[in-house]
Amino acid sequence: MGVKMAKTDKKTSSGNTADKALDLRSPAYYWNRELSWLAFDLRCLNEARRKETPLMERLNFLSISASNLDEFFMVRVASLQDMAKGGYTKKDIAGMTATEQLEAILAKTHEFVDLQYSTLNHQILPALKQEGIVFLSDYDELSEAEIQYLDNYYETEVYPVITPMAVDSSRPFPLILNKSLNLGALLRRKTDAGPGILGHTKKAVKALKSERENLEFATVQVPSVLPRVIVLPENLRRDAGKNTETGEEKPAKQTRIVLLDTLIRRHMDSLFRGYDVIYTCPFRIMRSADMDIDEDEAEDLLKEIEKSLKQRRHGDAIRLEVEAGIDPRLLQILVEELHLNPNEVFQVDGPLDLTYLSKVRKVPGYDDLREHRYADPQPVPELPKGCDIFAQIRKGDIFLCHPYETFQPVVDFIANAAVDPQVLAIKQTLYRVSGNSPIIAALAKAADNGKQVTVLVELKARFDEENNIGWARKLEKAGCHVIYGLVGLKTHSKITLVVRREDDGIRRYVHLATGNYNDITARLYTDVGLLTCKEPFGEDATAVFNMLSGYSEPKYWNKLILAPLWMKDRFKYLIGREKTHVLNGEEGHIKAKMNSLCDPDIIEALYDAARAGVKIELIVRGICCLKVGIPGISENITVHSIVGNYLEHARIFWFANGGKPEIYAGSADWMPRNLDRRVEIVFPLEDPKVKEKAEHILDVELDDTEQASILQPDGTYARVDRRGKEKVNSQLIFSQEAVAAAKAAKPPVSEQRVFVPETHQPEE
Amino acid sequence: MAIHTFAAVDVGSSQQELKIFEISRTRGIRPVDSIVRRIDLGTDTYNTGKIRPERVREMAKLLGEFSSIMQNYGVESYKAYGTSAIREMNNPSLVLPYWERLSGIHIDVLSNSEQRFLDYKSVASRGENFRKMISDSCAIVDIGGGSIQISLFDKDVLTATQNMRLGVLRLYEKLSHIDVRTAQRDEMVEELVNTQLEVFCKLYLGERRIHNIIVVDDYISAIMQANHREFIEADEFCDRVSSLHRTEVTEKMDVSDDDYPLLYVSGVLMRCIIRAFGASLIWAPGVTLCDGIVYEYAERRKLITKTHDFEQDIIECAGNISKRYMGDAERGESLQKIALRIFDATKKYHGMGSREKLLLRLAAILHDCGKFISMANLAECSYNIIMSTEIIGLSHIEREIVANVVLFNHKDFVYYEEQENASDLDEKSYTTIARLTAILRVANGLDRAHSHKFDNLHLAIKDDLLVIQADAGVDISLEKGMFGQRAAFFEEVIGLLPVIRQKK
Repeated sequence: MGVKMAKTDKKTSSGNTADKALDLRSPAYYWNRELSWLAFDLRCLNEARRKETPLMERLNFLSISASNLDEFFMVRVASLQDMAKGGYTKKDIAGMTATEQLEAILAKTHEFVDLQYSTLNHQILPALKQEGIVFLSDYDELSEAEIQYLDNYYETEVYPVITPMAVDSSRPFPLILNKSLNLGALLRRKTDAGPGILGHTKKAVKALKSERENLEFATVQVPSVLPRVIVLPENLRRDAGKNTETGEEKPAKQTRIVLLDTLIRRHMDSLFRGYDVIYTCPFRIMRSADMDIDEDEAEDLLKEIEKSLKQRRHGDAIRLEVEAGIDPRLLQILVEELHLNPNEVFQVDGPLDLTYLSKVRKVPGYDDLREHRYADPQPVPELPKGCDIFAQIRKGDIFLCHPYETFQPVVDFIANAAVDPQVLAIKQTLYRVSGNSPIIAALAKAADNGKQVTVLVELKARFDEENNIGWARKLEKAGCHVIYGLVGLKTHSKITLVVRREDDGIRRYVHLATGNYNDITARLYTDVGLLTCKEPFGEDATAVFNMLSGYSEPKYWNKLILAPLWMKDRFKYLIGREKTHVLNGEEGHIKAKMNSLCDPDIIEALYDAARAGVKIELIVRGICCLKVGIPGISENITVHSIVGNYLEHARIFWFANGGKPEIYAGSADWMPRNLDRRVEIVFPLEDPKVKEKAEHILDVELDDTEQASILQPDGTYARVDRRGKEKVNSQLIFSQEAVAAAKAAKPPVSEQRVFVPETHQPEE
Repeated sequence: MAIHTFAAVDVGSSQQELKIFEISRTRGIRPVDSIVRRIDLGTDTYNTGKIRPERVREMAKLLGEFSSIMQNYGVESYKAYGTSAIREMNNPSLVLPYWERLSGIHIDVLSNSEQRFLDYKSVASRGENFRKMISDSCAIVDIGGGSIQISLFDKDVLTATQNMRLGVLRLYEKLSHIDVRTAQRDEMVEELVNTQLEVFCKLYLGERRIHNIIVVDDYISAIMQANHREFIEADEFCDRVSSLHRTEVTEKMDVSDDDYPLLYVSGVLMRCIIRAFGASLIWAPGVTLCDGIVYEYAERRKLITKTHDFEQDIIECAGNISKRYMGDAERGESLQKIALRIFDATKKYHGMGSREKLLLRLAAILHDCGKFISMANLAECSYNIIMSTEIIGLSHIEREIVANVVLFNHKDFVYYEEQENASDLDEKSYTTIARLTAILRVANGLDRAHSHKFDNLHLAIKDDLLVIQADAGVDISLEKGMFGQRAAFFEEVIGLLPVIRQKK
């Protein structure tokens, strides 16, 4: 039966019939998504530039801005390049061709990288130095003992794992791994060295300057298996024993750091005996990672992904980073061999790959430089430790807010189900799981206990395939029924179903969430989840897994809204319904929070509703193609973006619905990829208490004055004008509220003797 | 609380469904899971009589999956039925055991009338709405691929049921061979449908109107369900059918392109029926065969209280058939009465149950229907009428049993071993025929003159005798005289010799 859910009310969904002259799809009304993406990365970088941010957290934000940019290049720039090279001329939502976008992106990225390094050199490093954390790139600054220590370390740890590679006619340009850090060198053979390792027979099409000078190219990968940050033991300092500034006996605490690449650079000579190393310079390349698996042809999806993972290493280079002031001869070799355009080369003023800063953040000590205001994940009041989780869910729906509340109940939910004799089946979708995931262990145990365990492991989760294949195999071995995704669709929904046989028949317990089943990221990402055993949800959850197992879709859905078939229309209907309310003289109001907003159909519906007078308040962390403040179109729309201590990740959608508000949460952003190409689930929050909690999240975030930025009509983001406003840091408030709720829920046990340290909450 | 977990499996022509139910006395029937896969078995069997090997294997795999799902739910019992695709196979005796061996699932084949009866039961399982609908004049229109079944109700009781070759696939097939404009297409379907409907109306309705229609189908019901609706006014329905334009339906109502033509044909077909019946309200309860299977199971196991007396429906239908052929209702009534008393009195000896008792009643009701055609060939004509009249709720075998009992009531009994023509009857069914024939014959013998001489019948078993006592003062010499042969057959089959005695 191919009949699907009936679509929306025609009157409200089809949009702008009132004013035919106005084309709400005009490119003039949309921002390019890539540039909007860079604007988000800039907001992360701005956190690193912010003096209110504790120093160590600033390191982290700078590191994040760097890894974000890496991902952006691998995914977005790569596919734009494919499009440009493939002669794809279709314009994007903002009317730009792929080539135009690439040019704009590269120009912006150069500015961005310059800002990263100026932040590093002029703000972060001086501040670190002031706190006693020093980076040493010059051996002159090292003590004899320190040099000895480093030489020793090099001989025993580093040298055995590095492989110098030279280039000549018989040895083609080596494969430079994606994202790896390398040292490139120019060599000249010593006159008395006898026959060298390099021949001179290469007939280059184009004679490079280095060749004319008889210079050879060699490269060494900085091994990724060793830590890049080497902290020198404190007792080796030249001034060990006395404080240089005061002359006192006890020196000021200092952390002296040498980067691994600095160390290897120092020893380059020893790697190429018989050659003089004329010049050495670090370089790093980024390759495209956008891989498309042809699922129709792939007989065994698993094998196909393994194959394409290997291929990823061979993708085209799309960015080259080198140290500023690199020898032009060396640069020329790299540019030629890697087929790069000049604007794809980034000469940076400092160490390449700033992600090492997140490691520096972890050096021991310096606790006062870190963020402490946010409490650890708190117990969920409805789920006290050791409770019967199923009995608690039977009492009513339970709403979970991570990371303010602990993710443990979700792990317990599955772990308890695994050993509960009444449980018949556990079914779950896994998108990205953590290494050593307790959930995987629980699922395997359940299968071992004879439960029917069905797990959909999405192999196509970007960058996570290797990890996922490993888990999939492990689960299969344990006897779980593993489904490797659906052909042509990425399964991004987060849902768990536990089927339990109880005295009065089968009861289904469902967990639905906005975030992955990953206990590690659940400490860093803000997500919400719902535990329920309401029958309509249970029925739908059963139908979801039947569908994912290859059986037919149900005739209708009770509660859940699924992409790719039904979700977009439903959202368009819900947005259109607000417009209808306004036209009927009632209030129309939408509050929604998501990671990205770039679906043209949804944006058009939002414009259409806003024009009619619907108030639309959006909280969009990342990409937002919607323009605010277009006269007559989007003056009723505001877009906030929160970049804070945690990564904003929950998707929550609130519709006023003429005084009977409806609120939904789910795994989908308002992006074409979520709405059209993925299996996503959005679920209604119905319990009045749960609704209140979810709406509270939206309201507090909309009031945020500390971590929020507001999208301006010109596409930039400005910090909230705090004048006359109370300071509101939404994430901090949620954290404090979770602490208070957990405390209130704790039973007053007299013999309990736990001393809770007061959390220090300094004024901003 | 005792809860039974039951699985119903429908091996349909185009899709196969496994539905898991929980049945309890307090909560009734509760569906727990429904697993549907679409494997096209029908096209193969309709064209070649065989399912191609890869589909046979695919089906075996699916049944295996069903079997493990059933196991996971801890299913206590199940019932699996094959419908027309399996019914029309040439080689079910090879394929069905193969599937059973690989999956452990035994599939029984439903005759059309059994299938329709289950569909009907699935509707009846919907309790209150069903009672409301049939309390007024009502028809269940069960639309299949090859044929439709219309069952009429009058004051809570099923009065007639008729199968017509107007299935949606069949109609669509006919249309697809003709190149017509869209506007003409409506007319063509209407013409095909209306000629048959007219006959039906003439036969069963006369001037009567049918106010309520219950529709059981795949396409209209699905659209209604997707819209979370079950009821629709007939006028609104007809309006909607008139505006069923392809693009609008496929886009706005999200019907796949493949399904559109069949939805369209279903709509036009229903519109014809609505108009012919003068109906005002349509109910699409969205039930499937599986709902009927579980209802039947729960009813037989007495796990639920009956919402409707289905036996009464069957008897009523038989009564109407008899009426159509000018059968003697009064005679049938007294014959039934006597036959049932003999049945009850000798239960210990013949060992038959309530189902056979029902068949005996039907044989008594229909015992003389053939005289409408020929009084001389009463036996053969009765047999033929019964064999070609669908009696809803009876399996093919059961119908054959009734027809044979009626035949042998008038003619010499042919022993199982003596049969000349191939038949579907197995030895067990044949024994049932013999036993029911013996009872009906004795009953018939006691009512030779049709004069209610044995209205106050008294039966007693003494040693090897079934003593039949007639009231004093009644002349029973005719019965006594013609009783010998009947009594001998009864003794041969049941082991008791019936004797007639008169009260002194």
